[in-house]
Amino acid sequence: MRTALAYIPRRGPLQSARPGAAVAYLAALVVVAFLYSNPLVLVATGIAACLAGRLAGATKAVRASLRLGLALAFLIVVVEAVVVAGGQTVLLRSGDLPIVGEIDVTLEAIVAGAVIGLRALVTIVAFGVYSACVDPDRVTRALRPLAARSALTATLVARLVPVTAADAGRLRDAAQLRGPGAAPVGKGPLARRLLAGSLDRAVDVAATLELRGYSLGAPRGAQRREPSRYDARFYAVAAVVSAVAIVGKALGADDFHAYPTISLGLGPGTLAVTAVVLASGLAPWRGRGRQGARRRPVARREGGLARV
Amino acid sequence: MSELAIRRGAAPALAVEGLSYSYPRAAAPALADVSLEVAPGEFVLLAGRSASGKSTLLRAACGLVPHFHGGEIEGRVTVAGMDAVEAGPGELATAVGYVAQDPETQVVSTTVAAEIELPLEMRGDGPGDRARAVEEVALALAIPHLLGRAVDTLSGGELQRVALAAALVTRPRLVLLDEPTSQLDPVSGDELIWLLRRLNEEWGVAVVLAEHRLERCLAAADRVVAVAAGRIGFDGEPREFLGWTRKVDPTLTTPAARLFSLAGVEPLPVGVRDARRTLEGQVGVVAEPSVTPVPHLGKAPGAEVRPPSRFPGLRKSRNDPVALRAEGLWVELDDGNGPRDVIRGVDLAVAPGERVALMGRNGAGKSTLLRVAAGLIDPVAGRVAAERMALLTQNPSDYLVRERVGDELPGEPGLAALRAVGLERAIDADPRDLSGGERQRLALAIALAGRLDGDGVPGLVALDEPTRGMDRGRKDDLVALAERLADQGAAVLITTHDVEFAAEFAERVVLLGDGVVIADGPSAEILSGGWYFATEVARVLDLPGVVTPEHGAALLAGGPA
Repeated sequence: MRTALAYIPRRGPLQSARPGAAVAYLAALVVVAFLYSNPLVLVATGIAACLAGRLAGATKAVRASLRLGLALAFLIVVVEAVVVAGGQTVLLRSGDLPIVGEIDVTLEAIVAGAVIGLRALVTIVAFGVYSACVDPDRVTRALRPLAARSALTATLVARLVPVTAADAGRLRDAAQLRGPGAAPVGKGPLARRLLAGSLDRAVDVAATLELRGYSLGAPRGAQRREPSRYDARFYAVAAVVSAVAIVGKALGADDFHAYPTISLGLGPGTLAVTAVVLASGLAPWRGRGRQGARRRPVARREGGLARV
Repeated sequence: MSELAIRRGAAPALAVEGLSYSYPRAAAPALADVSLEVAPGEFVLLAGRSASGKSTLLRAACGLVPHFHGGEIEGRVTVAGMDAVEAGPGELATAVGYVAQDPETQVVSTTVAAEIELPLEMRGDGPGDRARAVEEVALALAIPHLLGRAVDTLSGGELQRVALAAALVTRPRLVLLDEPTSQLDPVSGDELIWLLRRLNEEWGVAVVLAEHRLERCLAAADRVVAVAAGRIGFDGEPREFLGWTRKVDPTLTTPAARLFSLAGVEPLPVGVRDARRTLEGQVGVVAEPSVTPVPHLGKAPGAEVRPPSRFPGLRKSRNDPVALRAEGLWVELDDGNGPRDVIRGVDLAVAPGERVALMGRNGAGKSTLLRVAAGLIDPVAGRVAAERMALLTQNPSDYLVRERVGDELPGEPGLAALRAVGLERAIDADPRDLSGGERQRLALAIALAGRLDGDGVPGLVALDEPTRGMDRGRKDDLVALAERLADQGAAVLITTHDVEFAAEFAERVVLLGDGVVIADGPSAEILSGGWYFATEVARVLDLPGVVTPEHGAALLAGGPA
């Protein structure tokens, strides 16, 4: 059984685009998430990533990434709230606790944690969409000129997720088949086993890649070129989003501070960046008119015979 | 050295001189002073028990040892004129095709077509050449129907064939294969051996093949090299090898040779044709190709042979105790090209204490049937019920997540499970320190824990392809364990492609074909009535009901029927 993050071939623009174009597009969203702290921009970036995944047909991957990202975001919020004593709006005062002393939970710390959590969430969703929509075979090939001497690097970049996904399915089945008298397998031991096993397996896969001649210098003419009419779209969207984000940041569009009190700016610059980022989520949209046109049979004359 | 010189036979395809190798942190060397030469166009069979050093020798020949495994190496390995230790697996890939034991670690692409095409693309072949080579190798390995499939939807045997195709597609000068038939059904296994022979004869490809099931490939080999404890124990012709096994290590012999040894017939045969010719000349008991009814052993001469019964399990009434009952079972799976019926209306009943082998070609639905019975997959129609079922899947290490056996199996239920598989002494051991066979038994104990009825056993113990990578000694241990569980009242159901193992272990064989039960009956009947799903002894003697060397030898000793 396939996991939600496994790549499934589909005929969407994001899947058809070259890995470089798809990665540039998704990476632009991650860049925005790391450049900005303004929650409005971050929420827009998250929506754009989810929308991109939805339009690319990777709804399951988006859902799975959201589950993982929200769990991680919640953990970050809890840690930030407990560890950081900054902020003036105290919501909870623990009293004197052994070892750690007094803990003040402030609204500002919770919001600051939520901002970091949102960044993690956007990154995870973007990675989930990448994993489900970008063909790892094409990534492996694309990496060859850059990492021909290191099959392991190529494997870790391109194949770790598919390998881990396959292992996770098998380990889950084995956990389900354990007898009721065996020690139950919690998520922790399973995750440790999965990580250790996946790295081992990635090394095995890297060895196979070497044996297939990955490190051989193939003639340039033999390199597979698979351009797509969608490449330009994704490169353009990535460039616009990155440029708007950088310019906006320079012009003060990222107007937000969590400490000592929360300060959230919603000026025209911030709203413009938000709008551009939100709109970028529509990039994988396929459109409808052309599909119908493609289905229509085309008659062609060849040697006096009409072929349909 | 020029390619022409190599092709003319000036350089050996593989030359190993004084090779000693130890894996990192290993207590003993895996190979010790091994010297070996394989000529271009030679077909060499590597024999030896589990962990004898066969796989390490193959890995050294393709450069994985020491490049990927590390460790200490001495001596010299030369492949088609290249120093394997200096060149590494990348450069050796131009001359060597390697297929490892575990097909799941050998697949690096998303689809089958991309996987097979990858080595050609890496080499720089043009699109036309690539398409033709992929098509031809797919036809040769009978997998054109798999080309469009996603690799994560393939069965173990299908994956094995895809890995083979990827290794052979470049037509390498030297092909190294580590138990390539371990997950193949008998049909595919035989076809692979003859494909290798054809590559070997027509293209001069040197083949080095490590196998446990020697009866499959001994007749095709020019030479046998037996490895024992990291050293070359024997190097010579197949017939001489059989004589050597009789004196030194009888567990390495073939069923036909064992039949001849037990019956006192000489010379020992290297294959079925050889054995039949000898018997026709000396004993005269071999049936004509059109099988005439011959009395079963133990029956009075002239007694009528009962035709193989169909679906004996279903003769049980609904009130009879059953460990597994499937009625009108349909299972649908999505293989990446949309839903497909994998199990189609299967009716099956297995009684407590029965030992059943579930056989069939790759992708026939064997593993799926077990997974449905264990509740991992829901059927789309029909019913299946299994009483306290313990299932061990194809990868026992998936069950092992802790660093101490006792932590995997705590308390009295855990101890009882360890006792059931004979591992109670290993309670403080780290699972990683156990041998392959012990790890398999530990995984079985984990599946059994809490399902034991007091000191008894579960209703159904199922094992999916447990014999891959096993030598005969370990298979005998598994047969003994299965018999013990069955004697205690458990139904034991094992999927296997190993007909010799099935003949030893099972009293009943169920043959699946494309999701349908196509034969179901006593193992002696099912395993003696076909071309492929038949033991070597059955193919030699061609007598209904005679499948093991012991039965055959008793018949031969008694003279013509």
